Amino acid sequence: MTFELSLGHFGMASILLAFALTIYAMGSGIVGALKQDASLQTSARFAAFAVFLATTTALLVMLVALLTDDFSVKYVAETSSRASPTWIKVVTLWAALDGSLLLWAWMQTGYTALLALVALNSALRPWALVVMQGVQLFFLAVVAFVITPFQVLPIPPLDGPGPNPLLQNHWMMALHPILMYLGFVGLTVPFAYAMAALITRRPGTEWMQPVRLWTLAGWGFLALGKITGGWWSYEVLGWGGYWSWDPVENLSFVPWLTATAFLHSAQVQERRRMLKAWNILLVTLTFALTILSTFLIRSGVLSSVHAFAEGPVGPWFFGFFILVMLFSFGLLALRWEQVRDRSEFDSVVSREGTILAGNVLFLAMGFVVLLGTLFPLIVEAVSGQLVTIGAPFFDRVTVPIWLLIFVLMGIGPLLPWRRAEGQTLARNLAWMVGGALLAGVLAYTLGVRRTYPLLTVAIAAYNLVSLGLLIAGVVRPRVRQGLGNAAAVFTRYAYENRRRFGSMVVHFSVVVMALGVAGSSGYRLDQQLSMPIGERATFGQYELLVTGLFEERRPYKVSRGATVEVFRDDQFVTTLTPRINLFGNSPQPVSTPSVRYTFWSDLYLNLAGTVDPHDPAQQSVILRVVQSPLVAWIWIGAVILALGTGYALLPSPRREPMAARESVPT
Amino acid sequence: MTRLLIVVVVTALLAGLFWFGITASQGRAIGPTQLGRVMPDFSRPVFARYQAEFGETLSLPTGKPVVVSFWASWCGPCHAQAPTLEAAWRRYRDQVLFIGVNTQDRGNERQAEAFLNQSGITFPNVKDLDNRLGVDYGLFGVPETFFIRRDGTLQHRHAGPITTAQLSAQLEELLQ
Repeated sequence: MTFELSLGHFGMASILLAFALTIYAMGSGIVGALKQDASLQTSARFAAFAVFLATTTALLVMLVALLTDDFSVKYVAETSSRASPTWIKVVTLWAALDGSLLLWAWMQTGYTALLALVALNSALRPWALVVMQGVQLFFLAVVAFVITPFQVLPIPPLDGPGPNPLLQNHWMMALHPILMYLGFVGLTVPFAYAMAALITRRPGTEWMQPVRLWTLAGWGFLALGKITGGWWSYEVLGWGGYWSWDPVENLSFVPWLTATAFLHSAQVQERRRMLKAWNILLVTLTFALTILSTFLIRSGVLSSVHAFAEGPVGPWFFGFFILVMLFSFGLLALRWEQVRDRSEFDSVVSREGTILAGNVLFLAMGFVVLLGTLFPLIVEAVSGQLVTIGAPFFDRVTVPIWLLIFVLMGIGPLLPWRRAEGQTLARNLAWMVGGALLAGVLAYTLGVRRTYPLLTVAIAAYNLVSLGLLIAGVVRPRVRQGLGNAAAVFTRYAYENRRRFGSMVVHFSVVVMALGVAGSSGYRLDQQLSMPIGERATFGQYELLVTGLFEERRPYKVSRGATVEVFRDDQFVTTLTPRINLFGNSPQPVSTPSVRYTFWSDLYLNLAGTVDPHDPAQQSVILRVVQSPLVAWIWIGAVILALGTGYALLPSPRREPMAARESVPT
Repeated sequence: MTRLLIVVVVTALLAGLFWFGITASQGRAIGPTQLGRVMPDFSRPVFARYQAEFGETLSLPTGKPVVVSFWASWCGPCHAQAPTLEAAWRRYRDQVLFIGVNTQDRGNERQAEAFLNQSGITFPNVKDLDNRLGVDYGLFGVPETFFIRRDGTLQHRHAGPITTAQLSAQLEELLQ
């Protein structure tokens, strides 16, 4: 027998090395922290870099195996195919469970290494690193011992099946999972700090500064991950929607909500030294929920459109989730007396009051969404009956909560800490309510008659007025002091107060996206048309004409579709080509909608039923036609959100000496 | 100590629930569109006209091979293929259960009843008012027909109108 070294062996060895080094890093980290031995702590930090190197090697090995069609590696044999174009081979790295967990483990080690690099030296750092390594140990163990993607096949197949067609069908698949993992894994860092704060009994403000930044980064990635996922489903799933209250969507939405709550309540701790225990609870809950959602989806406990992510890891994630729950909440319970607040709120009508109310709403929404998602499982466990909770339930309970949150979002930033003055508050509110009424009446006369969209428009205007008041409140006094004209003062303010200005931008993006959601869900037209080829059919303000059928053959896919000309008021508008793709040997046809994007309203065509250009008997096609107003603003809002979040994450500029001289009268 | 107890109890409850989920989902786990996978169970209200014979709700699995056919009242090809399905049902009704699923039809209840009047279908039809079943099955469009084996796994799915020949070929395979 000869033993041939294959790429798989290198990959496996790298993962095992990373696993062993992680154990070492944890051990030296714990001993180093307990004995306050600086050299051991440093050794643990260096080990974190070494682990990252090892996992990077493993990831590169997998990439090389995919790109070189090395079917002796199990994962490649199971998910890739020779005919796929290069970008799909790259994306195949995370197109199935095994690869995506490898990517996850890699990111986990990357975050740990980054933390080891940038975290300031403090009593918390060694423990935070130990917790990070504990989490990473789990993921490495799963990759090394449970899913074994690098396993070397003794008799490699000549070709593989290629990745899931639904994932091959859109370039967004290159982005959406990465953003999701960056978000999920990023939220481990705040958790690590929270645990470190509990272990060292230092729940004060020390851990707030780093944790706020890490949470903001993870939160931003998660938000973008969810929105890109929505866009993917809009462009691939063929029903012209972007959110269906699927378990996967819900379960990643809940930790995002708790992280949002934390980003707000963290300010209360920084400013008022309050809500310490609450903040630790939120961070812990967020992390536990990310693990819970990963567990529930990966184990197939809840069925969903993401079922391709399932695998044999269920019991492992189950165990890890239980461990996380017991360790983190158990520790919090033991330390509760030391971390809970002693001070009390001065007034509900204050910045901290609205933040707390917002927190309650975020958590309430998280709770109902989680409950709705788990309810079928609970009912089945208790009574054996199968029920489903559909979108109507979630819409009904979450929309009013969202609107309340929007109301708070407008007023909160205008309120001072501690206690608001009645007069200023009344004046601001008068402006905002005035704006809301004006916008509401305007929208009503323009034909917006449904309650929720109308309310959304009104509250959006109220929020825009609020942002205007916030900016005016900053700019006006400085202009009066003679610090320059309004534009210069504003630019300077935005430059110097990155966190504050970034938060305004993010709030603005929320308003933009809310309008997109209100328009596209409230005024969507959806019709299925049987269209004879060569004849015109009317849809809303449009006329559609199917001019013919076509077929395109590529080595890895066959597309069949219809050419549809779109007219409006007898004017030619555009040509759309909805199609159906067949990938490789997969029997599953994937319909690919064709969309005309405009700022005002999208026109969305999707083929239902079959299309065969070679069949002379085919005289008509069936088209699902959707008109979705304002939906583009969701994607535009996402870009604004990314910019705002990124801006808030930039380090504050050092105060320039000029500014210092100006502010100190001599 | 009380707090620790609360944590332990809550965790234990969740653990119980999820462990049940893991065990119950074995063999029930679905890929929405993958062949050979177990299709999701369901339980849906039956149209009134079929309740005398088939009960108020129909649930999968039934222990029989099943043909699940999704339709909507506004769908021309669904009308066109109804006689084909009905003929096959009359021939195979002792061995195979046919279920029609009315989906993507909210607000069209009257048209859906009219569809059933017109087509004279005698196999049971259920309502998927919230389109959830369509989502669970990864529905590609209407009409679409799923051939589910006795053990609940998917043998074949057919998107678009189905012909008598295609239908019989799949039914014969179901019965093997």
